[in-house]
Amino acid sequence: MAKPQKIIGLNPKQSFRENVRTILPQKVEEVYSWEQFIQDPEKREELHNLRISIKRLRYTMEFFAVNYDKHFMEFIETIIDLQEILGDIHDNDVVLEVLTNYKENRQSTELPGVDTLITRTIKSRNADYQAFLERWEQLSAVDFKQKLLAMIAS
Amino acid sequence: MATAIEINGIAPDKTLETCARQIIVAYFREMMSHKAGAIDGTDIKFVHDMRVASRRLRAAMDNFAACFQKEPFKQHYKQIRTITRTMGAVRDLDVLIARFQRELQTLSGAGQGDIQGLIEHLQQERAEARKPMLNLFSELDESDFKTQFLTFFETEA
Repeated sequence: MAKPQKIIGLNPKQSFRENVRTILPQKVEEVYSWEQFIQDPEKREELHNLRISIKRLRYTMEFFAVNYDKHFMEFIETIIDLQEILGDIHDNDVVLEVLTNYKENRQSTELPGVDTLITRTIKSRNADYQAFLERWEQLSAVDFKQKLLAMIAS
Repeated sequence: MATAIEINGIAPDKTLETCARQIIVAYFREMMSHKAGAIDGTDIKFVHDMRVASRRLRAAMDNFAACFQKEPFKQHYKQIRTITRTMGAVRDLDVLIARFQRELQTLSGAGQGDIQGLIEHLQQERAEARKPMLNLFSELDESDFKTQFLTFFETEA
């Protein structure tokens, strides 16, 4: 898991409101630093890191929600939606790894249940990955990043 | 998924330091409130909720590190990271076991046998993964970690 990027430029003695404009754009940029990898479904580690960065952004937005109106919650909902789709992809990756390792360690045994679940999980992972790409593209098409940054700066 | 908690005492006009202390203390208390259930281990939701609270706490500590004296902050941060990691090993196995138990119902008789074997294997791993978690909780109690953590973050410089 990638470490969180260090936050720079904070002033502890300035108001919570003033500092939100320093912290949140950096968290948004951390998320988008993983965007270059999303078109490759085999980039498991990078997709996992994207999910973790999205989770960190979500938590940080929740800490600072008191600074914004109700519209801010809609952005948080979108972030949660992305986090959940990426969570499904990651869960499938972990399940596949467990099933594959279990099978490899029992080479002489027939494992029809494990084989069925491997096939089912690959299908589910592919569907989740496509759903993620579609959601990401929808958000790019409506300039989600710029709108989020504008909201943060408001 | 566990949702964000309501945090008293934070407001746009208060200083970042004041709000950071409130957020960190609130999530620390939230995390510790699930400890007894996590130790009991009967209901997997307690490990989940404690781990999520520890992740939120770490996110807050990552964001607000600049508000605190470096060395003591680093020590507290390391302990929280250890809690998250130790609980993560148990939680990951809880998730896998629950998933395979759901899948079990959808398989034919022959398929159920080997998945039942896999579940039993994971349950043994879970029992092993709980040991370091329980040891860590005992160590934290013995070192009075809770009091030290709260004293540090509740005391404004």
